Formats: sequence, C-alpha cells, structure tokens
Amino acid sequence: MVADKGKKSKVAEMAEEADSDPIDGDLVLSVEKLQEVQDELEKVNEEASDKVLEVEQKYNEIRRPVYIRRNEIIKTIPDFWLTAFLSHPALCDLLSEEDQKIFKYIKSLDVEDFSDVASGYSITFNVDENPYFEETKLTKTFTFYDEGTTKITGTNIKWKEGTAASNGVNHVKKGNKRPLAEESFFSWFSETQQKDVAELHDEIAELIKEDLWPNPLKYFNNEADEEDSDDDADDEEENGDDDEQDGVEDSD
Amino acid sequence: MVADKGKKLKVAEKLEEKGSESIVGKLLVSVEKLQEIQDELETINEEASDKVLEVEQKYNEIRRPVYDKRTEMIKSIPDFWLTAFLSHPALGELLNEEDQKIFKHLSSLEVEDFKDVKSGYSITLHFNPNPYFEDTNLTKTFTYADDDGTTKITATSIKWKEGMGIPNGINHEKKGNKRPASNESFFSWFTDTQEKDHSDIHDEIAEIIKEDLWPNPLTYFNNDADEEDFDDKETIEEQGKDGDDSEESEDDQEDEDDDDDDEDGGEDDGK
Repeated sequence: MVADKGKKSKVAEMAEEADSDPIDGDLVLSVEKLQEVQDELEKVNEEASDKVLEVEQKYNEIRRPVYIRRNEIIKTIPDFWLTAFLSHPALCDLLSEEDQKIFKYIKSLDVEDFSDVASGYSITFNVDENPYFEETKLTKTFTFYDEGTTKITGTNIKWKEGTAASNGVNHVKKGNKRPLAEESFFSWFSETQQKDVAELHDEIAELIKEDLWPNPLKYFNNEADEEDSDDDADDEEENGDDDEQDGVEDSD
Repeated sequence: MVADKGKKLKVAEKLEEKGSESIVGKLLVSVEKLQEIQDELETINEEASDKVLEVEQKYNEIRRPVYDKRTEMIKSIPDFWLTAFLSHPALGELLNEEDQKIFKHLSSLEVEDFKDVKSGYSITLHFNPNPYFEDTNLTKTFTYADDDGTTKITATSIKWKEGMGIPNGINHEKKGNKRPASNESFFSWFTDTQEKDHSDIHDEIAEIIKEDLWPNPLTYFNNDADEEDFDDKETIEEQGKDGDDSEESEDDQEDEDDDDDDEDGGEDDGK
C-alpha cells in the first residue's frame, strides 16, 4: 500500500496548492474513496479472469482426447499436413522445395497447451525416420511468465550431411533478395530469442496454433477443391464451345 | 452438406485417376471421419464460448452497480474526466483548446455493454448545460451484427450552438493544407459512423476509452497529480543528491520542509 500512500500524499499536496481548505479535504476524501472502488473492481476482474480461465481449462481437457483421436485418423491420410500447409494462404510460402520433401515424413502435428492453459503451449511435429535429420520429434515451446516475459525453446535439429538446410546460408547469393521459400521452414525451431509477451510475434506459431490446428481439414479440402477446379478449367478448355484458344484448326 | 458431398466426390474422382478403388474407399472414409471430428470439435468450441460468455455476462452484472457508485463519486471530483483524458498518453492528444473548455462541463462518462455482452456497447458523455451545444448526452453506440460480421455505428448528432464547434466542420481546412491533428476537435469522433466489418473495426478512440480508460481512470488522473508533483519532487531529489553544491538549493529545500515553520526558511533547527 506504500504506492497508494504516496499517491494520497501527492494528491494532498496538489490539493494544498489549491486555494481553499475545505475543498482540499473533500477532494482527498473523494479520491481515496475512488481508489477503494477501483480496488473493489480489480478484485471483481480478477475473479472474472479466474473463472474464465477455469472454463478454458475445462474445455481444453475435453478437447484433448478428441485431438488425439483426430491424430490417429490423420495418420491414415497420406500427406495430410503437407497438403494442409500448402493450402494455407500464409503457411504455403514457408516451405522450400526440400521442406516439402521433408514434410512427407511427418507423421503428426500436435499443439498442446500447458495444463493450466495460461502459462504456455508447445507445437510438436512427429516425424518418421528420414534422410534429412536425426530427430523424430521437433518441438517448439512457449512459456509465459507472470512478469510478462516469454521463454522460447526449440529442438536443435541435427541435419544430416548433404541436406540443403544443413548448408544454411550458402544458398543465398549476396545482394539478392532471398525469396522466402529458400530458407527452410525448419529454421523456425532455432528462432528462440526471448521476448516480452507484448512483443511476442511468432507469426508462424500463431498461425499454426490459432488457425491451422483448430481445423486443418478446411485447408486440406481447399486444396482438393482447387485442384479440381483447375482440372475443371482444363476440361472446359478442351471441350468447351470456345475454340479460339486452340487455334484456327477448329473453326469452320 | 451438399458441398461436402461435392468435395468427397471430387476427392474420389481424383483418387480414382491414380489407382486402386480400395485406396479411394479408405481415404474417403478417413476424410469423412475427420469431418465428423471437426464437427465434434466445433460443438465443443461453441459450448466453451457460450460458457465464457456466461461468465462475462455474470461479472458485467456484478460490475454495473460498482460502476454506478463510481460515477457518483467522480461527480464530486472537479474536472475528473478532463484530467484523466489529458493524462492519458493517447487521449491527451485528441483534445484541442475548445474541447478542453467543453470538457469542463462534462459531468460523467459511461461505458456500457449491451446486456448480452457480445452484441455491442455504448460510450456516453453526460454534460451539464453549456454554451457549446444543446445536447446533455453524447452517445456513440457499436452494434455487432452476428450474421454478417458487420458493426453498425450510431452517434449523437451534436446540436452545436451558434458559433461553436467550427473545428468539427470543414471550414477550417484550407484546401491543399494538411490540417494539423491538434486542431481537429475530439467531438468529430461522434460523426465517424461509417459501418465497418468486424475485422476492420478500428475505432481506436472507442477501444482506448473502453479497454484502457474506463476500467481504471484513476491511474491516469493520479498520473497527472504525480507529474505535477514530480517536477517539484525532482528538484528536491536533485538537491538532496548534490548536497551543498548550490546555495539556492538549501533555501528551496528548507521551503519544502514540513517541519519548517519559517516561511522563507532562514533558520532551520532540524530536518
């Protein structure tokens, strides 16, 4: 309460600077009462936050087994996560050619909140044995501390010899703007600089957690749709009434 | 579900091109099961949202009488909202000179969610009778339409008295000149009522008032008190640190000293 006392005395000083005495006393009293009301509001707000958190924790527990079941089904759909990534408007730009090959080895993706929901979460790629790196599990974890900082840890990937990613920066010709897809998506796991919660800007993490993970089927299906609309377009060109594109042969 | 069937058929066709029907069959079954799981998740998420909303509604009801109590208390603090606004790092920039005079007639400010919390809220400024406009309440209301994600915005059309509120109009703007932001009246905020998409809604002023100022305006009000005294206090601290470097500082220090009975601080027994 030291800070409050400090404020009170400052207000008191401020009131003293004003001319008339009776008003000062009232003013100080009013501000004190106001502070009490704010304290009351703060308690109510904390209680509300706790209750909301309880609800979120409860439903996270309900969702968990459903996600586990979902993972099992996804394992029976070949290239599911690769397809979903490539159909996602933002994530698709992040996969280099080599990445796309690596993604064929992905068994499953898992996004998991810490059990209290509020203090962090992790994103894990479970990967079959592959010619690119040693690990079978790639995880990036975000831990939110009360004081507002975030600890970020990510699997240190042991690339096998000869892989493009193991060559790192060599791909970039100096002075050229590096197109995004040249850098491996997997460099995301080494981006672990600690940030303030407020500044936390791991867009990839946010996209995966908030956008892809809740409903990846939406994106997977998009791709199925798009491919077929391409096919349809081809069909139209071949069979359609408009023969101009095919050249002069068809007219007359 | 027609769209789903359409997708399934397309997937089936696509896979038939590639080979064995049994693969197609199994894949279709998997994708169907996956869709069912997504539907299940959606149901769970909706339930979660409803429960969270219930909590928010409940606590909004608990807060309401506390806010009402607070509004009454604030009325006994002169220029409370004017001071809080001016001390707020963002809002302070929005009040031009005339606005500040108008704000002296502000008796209270209220932010109120619609009863169900999720469909909107309003911000109201209550004014005493004043020489600037006829209205006693200026309200800006944001209504979220569930169906299409748009937000309807309505605001009081201010009945300015003669000669008042000219900064609101276009008269001040000389063609070709960039109008300095500080001249534009805060009250033009009440004329910004263009409907927006949920995602586009960018009424920063509304957000700042609702999310930042309204929950605890006292911190900003006190900030202002702090700043005023901080200037004085800073002087004292500098003197304290520097010790006897300055003759002037000794006198000043003695002036501020509570124990000091002398007005001019000539003789001082103890500190």
